[in-house]
Amino acid sequence: MSGGGNKKKPTKTQGWEEAGSEFYQESYPTDAELDALQRDPNPKHLATLLPSKQTRAAATIRIRTNDNRTIRRQTASRSRRDSTVHRRASTAGDVQVAMLPDLSENLSNEQTTWEEIMQIKGMPVPMSQKKEMKAKILNEPNLRLQGYEQLNWKRRKIWRQFISRLKEMHTKIELWRSALKRIEGHFGTGVVAYFIFLKYLLFLNLFIFTVIFLFIILPTILLVNSDTQNPPNSSNVVFDLIQGTGFMEHSLLFYGFYPNETFDYLVNESVMYYNLPLAYVCITVVYFATSLVSMVKSAANGFKERLIEGEGQFYQYCNFIFGGWDFCIHNEKSAAIKHKAIYNEIKACLAAERLEEMKQNRTKGEHTKLIIVRILVNVIVLAVLGACGTAIFFVFQEFRNESSDDYFEGLLFQFLPSITIVCFNILVPFLFKYLIQFERYSPLVVVRFTLFRTVLLRLASIFTLYITLGSVLTSSEKPNCWETFAGQQIYKLVITDFATHVILTFLVNFPRAFIARHVENKFIKLVGEQSFDLPKHVLDVVYLQTLCWLGCFYAPLLSFIASLIFFFMFYIKKFVCLVNSNPSATVYRASRSNSMFMIVLLVSFVSVVAPLAYSFSEVEPSRGCGPFRDLPSVWSRVEFTFYSTPDWVQSVVAFLSTAGFAVPVFLLLFLLLYYFRAVNAANRQMVVVLKNQLVLEGHDKQFLLERLSKFIKQQQEHQKRLRHVDVLQDGDTNISSN
Amino acid sequence: MGQGRSQFSEEELQDYQDLTYFTKKEVLYAHQKFKVLAPEKVGHNKNAKLPMSKMLNYPELNVNPFGDRICKVFSSSRDGDCTFEDFLDMMSVFSEAAPKSVKAEHAFRIFDFDGDDMLGISDLKQIIERLIGKDNHLGEQEMERLIQNVLEEADLDDDGALSFAEFEHIIDRSSDFLNVFRMRL
Repeated sequence: MSGGGNKKKPTKTQGWEEAGSEFYQESYPTDAELDALQRDPNPKHLATLLPSKQTRAAATIRIRTNDNRTIRRQTASRSRRDSTVHRRASTAGDVQVAMLPDLSENLSNEQTTWEEIMQIKGMPVPMSQKKEMKAKILNEPNLRLQGYEQLNWKRRKIWRQFISRLKEMHTKIELWRSALKRIEGHFGTGVVAYFIFLKYLLFLNLFIFTVIFLFIILPTILLVNSDTQNPPNSSNVVFDLIQGTGFMEHSLLFYGFYPNETFDYLVNESVMYYNLPLAYVCITVVYFATSLVSMVKSAANGFKERLIEGEGQFYQYCNFIFGGWDFCIHNEKSAAIKHKAIYNEIKACLAAERLEEMKQNRTKGEHTKLIIVRILVNVIVLAVLGACGTAIFFVFQEFRNESSDDYFEGLLFQFLPSITIVCFNILVPFLFKYLIQFERYSPLVVVRFTLFRTVLLRLASIFTLYITLGSVLTSSEKPNCWETFAGQQIYKLVITDFATHVILTFLVNFPRAFIARHVENKFIKLVGEQSFDLPKHVLDVVYLQTLCWLGCFYAPLLSFIASLIFFFMFYIKKFVCLVNSNPSATVYRASRSNSMFMIVLLVSFVSVVAPLAYSFSEVEPSRGCGPFRDLPSVWSRVEFTFYSTPDWVQSVVAFLSTAGFAVPVFLLLFLLLYYFRAVNAANRQMVVVLKNQLVLEGHDKQFLLERLSKFIKQQQEHQKRLRHVDVLQDGDTNISSN
Repeated sequence: MGQGRSQFSEEELQDYQDLTYFTKKEVLYAHQKFKVLAPEKVGHNKNAKLPMSKMLNYPELNVNPFGDRICKVFSSSRDGDCTFEDFLDMMSVFSEAAPKSVKAEHAFRIFDFDGDDMLGISDLKQIIERLIGKDNHLGEQEMERLIQNVLEEADLDDDGALSFAEFEHIIDRSSDFLNVFRMRL
C-alpha cells in the first residue's frame, strides 16, 4: 500500500468527486494511470482500476462533466421513446437515418425534465452543485407535451402536489410526533417501535368504535323510542360507574339494551328498513376481519424482512457494526448506555461462539442434568399456571353471589376476581424470570421463553374467564341477561387493569425511581432502579386489546373506552419510559420487535376469536334481552337473512359449498403451493450457486491481479536491463568513435 | 416561522424542495434548527458557514460516535465546516423519505475513514472502537476475532476489505439499517 497510498491520499482528502474526476474519467485506466501503475505495480493498487470499482464513482463524475444526457438516458420512459424513434426510422427503410445521431435525444419534454430533477435528489453532491444541475436542466430547450400526454402529465403533476400537501398536513397533525422523537432520543428505535405499536392499537380501536357507532349505536339512538324502561333506582352512582351495574346496565354500554327490531322509516315517502340485529352481527365480523387483515399485513412485512435477513444468519456481526448505532439518539446518558449495550452485545456474541464450542464438549452427565432441570422448570411453570387458573376460578365462583351490606365490602367482592387476575399478572412473571436462570439458555432464547410463558399466563386468565362464564350459563341461577353479565365482567377487568397501571406507575414505581435517584445507597439503588423491560409492556397493551376484542360484542361502547385508555396509556408508558426507567441494557432491534408484537397480538386474537365464534353458533342468546332474543343462536340471524335472498344467490352459495367445487379448488391451491415451493427451492439453490461463483470470481481476480503485477515488474526489469545494455552500447559506440 | 420566511425567497425554497426529500415547511424548520446552533451568525447570513465544533453542538451529532465523520462527509469544503445547504443535505439523507441506496452511499463514506473507497481492517477497527465508546475496551484478540467474523460474513471476494458493492449487499439484507440510519428533524 506504500506507494499507492501516498499517491491516493492527497486527492482523497480533497474529496471524492475530485478524486473521481482524476481517476475515473473513462471507465478504463488512462495512460497517466498506467504510468503511475508502472511505477508501483502493487495488486492492491491495480484493483482500484478495475471497472467494477469505478462504476460508482463514474456515475458521480459523469454528472460533473456537464454531460447530463447520460442521466437522461437512464430514465425508462425516455429509452422507450428512443426505441420507438429508432423503429420508425428503420421501418422507413432508411438505414442512413439510424446511423445519424439521434437528434431527438437532445430535446426533452417537461416530464423527463421533471424526472431528471427528481433524480438529482439522490446524488451525493453538495447543494450548490445540485442547484447548478437543476438550472442547467431547466435552461435546456424542452418540448411541450401535446394532447393526451399533456393532459396526463398535468393530472399527475396536480396529484403529486396534492400528495405533498397532504404529507405536509400530516406531519403537522401527526399525533405525538415530538414525544416519539424524545423517546427515540433517549431509548432508541426499538422502544419507539413499541410506542408506534401503541399508536397503531389506538387507531385500530378508534376504527372499531367508529364502525360500531355508525352502524349500531347511532341507529339505536335515532330510531328507538326511548323511555321504555325506568332505570332501577341506584343508590351510588360512582359504584355503578365502575361496576357497570345500576343505570349503566341498561344503557348503550351493554348488549342488553339493544333492541331486536327491524326499524322502518320514511325517506322521500318510501319505506326503508334497517335490520339492527343483522347489522350487529355483520359489524362484528367486519371489525374482526379488518383487525386480522391489518395485523397480518404488518406482521407479514416484518416477516419478509426477517426472511431476507435470516437466510443463514450470515450478517449477524455486520449488523452489529454497521447498524449498531441509533443515529437518532441525542441524549448523552443514553449514548453512554448505548455504547455499553453494544459492547456487551459484541462480548456476548463472541462468548456465545465459545459457548457453542463448550456445548459440544459438554459431558453426558452434565447434559442429562441440564435436561432434567429444564423439564423440572417447565413442570413448575405449568403447575403455577394451573394453580393461577384454579385460583381465579375459585375466587370467581365463591364471591360471585356474595353480597354485603357494606358498600365497600360489596365492591371488594365484586372486584375480587379482576384483582386476583391482575395480581397474578404482576407477580408470576417475576417467578418465571427467576426460574429461567436455571435453564441456562442463551440470552435471546431467554427473552423468547419468558415472553411465551407470560403470554400463556395472560391467556390462562382469559380462559378461566371463559370457563367461569360457561359455568354461569349452565348453572341454575343464570343471570337474566348473560351477555350483559359477560360484558360487565370484561368491563370490570378493563377498568381494574387500567387502574393498576396508573397506581403502579405513579404511586409505586415513581417514588421508587425518585428515591433511587436521590439516595446514595447501594441497596436502595438496587431496589429502586428500573429498566424499561419491553416484553412486559408489550404484554400489558396486548392484554388490554384482547379484552377489548372480547368485550366489544357484549359491550359495544367498550371500544370507545379502550380507545380512551390507549390514549392515556401512551402518556403513562411515556412517563414510565422517560421518568421512571433507565434505558435497558438489552438492545432491542426495531424490525425484530415489531414483528414480535404482531405475533403476540395475533396469538391473542386467535384466542379471542375461537370462543366467540363458538358462542355465536352454539350458545343460545338470552331470551329477555338483546338484539338476538328468541333466536336459537346469533348466527341464525344471518342464516334467516340468507334464506330470504333471491334463489340464484342461494344456489350459487350452495354450489360453492359442494364437494364438486371445493375439491378442485383445493387441488388447485395445493398445486400452486407446490409450484411456489419448488420455485423457492430453486431460487435458494441459485443463490448458493451464484455466491460460490462470486467467491470464485474474486479468487480469479486476485490471482490475475497478482500475475499482472508480477508481469509488469518483470517487464520493468527487462526494460531496465535493456536500457542498461543500451547505455553500455552507447558507451561502446562512443568509445569506438573516439 | 415569519422570521424564517423572510430569509428565503420562494424560489430558493422551491429549489430546496426539489433537491431534497423535504417540503418547504420542513426546510424552514431545518433552518430554525440550524439557527439555534449559532443564532447571531445565521441571523446575519442565512447560509453562514459554521465550524465543525459548532456543528457538533447539534444534539444528535454531539453524542454520535461518527459525528465528526458525518460533518466531514457532508461539508462542501470537506473540512467539517458546514453551511446551511450542507446541513440541509445531511438532514435530507438522514430523513425518513430518503431511499436505502442513498443512505448506503453516505454511510459507506462515513465509515470509510482513510478514504480509499474500501472498508479495510483499519476502518473496521476504528468503527468498532467508536461504537463501543472510550470507556469500554475490547482485548486485542477479541477485536481480531470480531473483524475476522465480519470479513468472513461479508467479504465475498476475499480481498481483506469490504468494497461498496459488498457493503451495499449487507445493507440490503439488514432490515434495521433503515430504522437506525435516520434522524428526525
